[in-house]
Amino acid sequence: MKRILIVDDSFYMRTMLKNMLTDAGYEIVGEAPNGQTALELAKETKPDLITLDVILPDNTGLDVLKGIKAEQPDMRVIIVSAVGQEVIVNEAMEYGALSYIVKPFSEEKVLEVVKKALEE
Amino acid sequence: MKSREQEYKEIFIAEALEYFDALNRLISELEKRPQDDQVLAEIFRMLHNLKANAKAIGYLQISDLSHKLETAFGLIRNKELSFSDEVVGVLFDGIDMLGELIGNIDGEFPVEPDQVLLRNLDIIVDSLSDSTIELAKVQKFSTSRNLTLSDLIYIQIRKLDHLMNLVGELIIDRDRILSLSRELDHDELKQVSSHLYRITEELQYSVMDARLVSIGTLFNKFPRVVRDIANAEKKEVDLELSGQDIQIDRNILQIMTDSLLHLVRNAITHGIEKPAEREKSGKPKTGNLELSARSDRESVVITLADDGKGIDLKKVRSAAVQQRMVSADVAEDLPDSEVFSFLFEPGFSMAKEVTEFSGRGVGLDVVKNAIDSIGGRIRVESEKGKGTTFTLQLPTSIAVKGALLFEVDSIFYAIPLIHTDSVVALDKDELHEVSDVLVADIKGETVTVVYLHELLNTGEPNMRLGDKTRLQGQVQNIIIVSYNNRKLGLIVDKLYRQQDIVVKPLSKPLDSIDLYGGVTLLGTGKVCLVLDVPAITKYFISKR
Amino acid sequence: MKDKSKKKEEQLAADAVTTSATDVQEISSLAEATKSTAAAEETIHLIVFKLGAEEYGIKIEQVKEVTVTPSVTRMPRTPDFIKGVANIRGDIIAIMDLEERFGIRPAPLTSDQNPNITYTLVIEARDYSIGVIVREVPQSLNLSMAKIDKAPSFLQDINIHANYIEGIAKVNERLIIVLDMYKILTQDEIQELKS
Repeated sequence: MKRILIVDDSFYMRTMLKNMLTDAGYEIVGEAPNGQTALELAKETKPDLITLDVILPDNTGLDVLKGIKAEQPDMRVIIVSAVGQEVIVNEAMEYGALSYIVKPFSEEKVLEVVKKALEE
Repeated sequence: MKSREQEYKEIFIAEALEYFDALNRLISELEKRPQDDQVLAEIFRMLHNLKANAKAIGYLQISDLSHKLETAFGLIRNKELSFSDEVVGVLFDGIDMLGELIGNIDGEFPVEPDQVLLRNLDIIVDSLSDSTIELAKVQKFSTSRNLTLSDLIYIQIRKLDHLMNLVGELIIDRDRILSLSRELDHDELKQVSSHLYRITEELQYSVMDARLVSIGTLFNKFPRVVRDIANAEKKEVDLELSGQDIQIDRNILQIMTDSLLHLVRNAITHGIEKPAEREKSGKPKTGNLELSARSDRESVVITLADDGKGIDLKKVRSAAVQQRMVSADVAEDLPDSEVFSFLFEPGFSMAKEVTEFSGRGVGLDVVKNAIDSIGGRIRVESEKGKGTTFTLQLPTSIAVKGALLFEVDSIFYAIPLIHTDSVVALDKDELHEVSDVLVADIKGETVTVVYLHELLNTGEPNMRLGDKTRLQGQVQNIIIVSYNNRKLGLIVDKLYRQQDIVVKPLSKPLDSIDLYGGVTLLGTGKVCLVLDVPAITKYFISKR
Repeated sequence: MKDKSKKKEEQLAADAVTTSATDVQEISSLAEATKSTAAAEETIHLIVFKLGAEEYGIKIEQVKEVTVTPSVTRMPRTPDFIKGVANIRGDIIAIMDLEERFGIRPAPLTSDQNPNITYTLVIEARDYSIGVIVREVPQSLNLSMAKIDKAPSFLQDINIHANYIEGIAKVNERLIIVLDMYKILTQDEIQELKS
């Protein structure tokens, strides 16, 4: 079973993502509401994939992405963003994010992106 | 019924109200320190989340308004719009409006966003520094504002676990105080302790209640699971769910999750036939799987029924013989119910091939262990060609259990009610010595009976479980327990009433002794041993 | 740490009150002794008790409290050296008999002993407590580390495995075998409990 870490500051978003992903047979190894926790959990749980919200209360998603990649260069990261954040998304892709999902997202889209990212 | 939609809605509202409160705080701070980037970033983040969440759940007015406010704050952040008095007024109005919309999601009268306000927001966003356009007066929401706090809080399960343990300890002390007050025969003390009794009882049920979740939270995951397994197996399966609103302790449901998943996988891979095969045997092409829950006294009963090929008892018999669990001639004479129980023995396997979803070396014994661990029961019924039904009887709550109290050789024991079938009193003459054990006819059924004193207290070399002369007195009190489709009668010295007990786990090094599921303290302060029915049954079988 | 050991002193002193008056003096001297431990580096503080005819000691750090044995509920189908379980301040703990555990023949009762009263040393292992039952009132003894013989060579005639013995203390004419309770309660030992 593939293991996923969800990073998002909104409990609602985390719950939706968690339900979608667990229904599809993935294991959620952790949920981080902020960047600090995200970095800790990434190190601790060593997931197969991380979904990363670009706006977080303590530091930006980009900083978190850099932090994760510095420790685990091969970590698969998917950016979760909203309309209007294309600049950040593009930058994130340059720092090694595999793909991105735009909020509000459909279940199909999430599963498609996650599945593809895990295959890479 | 709490559907997933309902759950999402509750979470959305709770979180949105939190954001609303924070926004009010932040914008007031911003008014004092307009240049504070951190405050701006926070406001921006919350509006952003509110917009995305509202859009996802379909509250478009909230998401539109959040979007407008987000744009405005975005401009302020980029210094394209100054945080002037006029602008501040509009933004305050906007946030008040947001609160109004969120607060009325569940209200009787839907609130429409104020059109003037929306236009004002458009003006400050579009006109930028051009201040010639008049901002219209907006009807104030804040004057009629009620302060509202969210009705929903989220709490970590370990905090509830802790609370439950404390209540357990409290109940033990309460019972002690109650019995002391009777001994002392002090009226006022009796009065206070009976009040204490009622309060703690209510407290216990409230805490138990706080831990309950609807079984739907687990059941609703299965439609997708069933679809995927059926696809992989090239089978057609309809899943029928019922009883999703039945409530059960969250930790019990957690422990049952893997077991239920395993049973569902088994039902599809090994139970339900491929469409062509089904048609050949005159069944509808699409298999039917029924997952249902219902409440039964103190427990929750979950059944999983498929209309597949059923379990072939002949094959189970021969597999049991092959795997040396029983000799061939004994297997031949075993009643069907006992043959089914082989399915739950460790290492027993019928599957010849390992498919993608089932097998993997995990058998029904793992399911059984999970159910044993929470003091539940599992039963299987099956008819060849017709289908298989698993029935899981689970306690509603872990900590407090109904139990039957009794005494053997001056030691107090308890057996959880979930394992007891009935209690009978039989004359010694109604017990018969048959091949080293005692048997009795109980309501038309031949049941093996054992004298607990002999089983527990006689040195193992001298143990004679089939010897009636070891019994004391003429009338024997027998508790019929049932485990793994097998019934066993336990003869006890004295039978007491049934009582709710709080089971304390045994501490090391005694926790490795299987015979005891734990201990409980009686009102008298005496320690009472809680017998583990699965272990006592296994011990009996090994000694007979 | 300081707080904890202080608490223990009070606890032990408080427990002593439940025993007879003469015992109080003996056990409450524990508190005195612990204080002096801090001053002199090279001393060791033991709780001393008898098994059979010999004297044994356990370091005070391993003893949580000493109490008159409360009513013990027998647990059938456990090894003989487990006397059962008892309720000590709301905790249900196992009560162990070291004489049976090590096959030591009990000494005959002396005339001033009440056969119905025994004492229990509550030993605090890492994550649980266990009671050790003794017949006579345990005593407190403070002695210099120098009096402990670390590598005793005359242990052959003792039933207790050398691993469990920290050393032998010689005080005047007395010989005290110092046990390491933690080692006695190691995982291997616990496994042996399974019947």
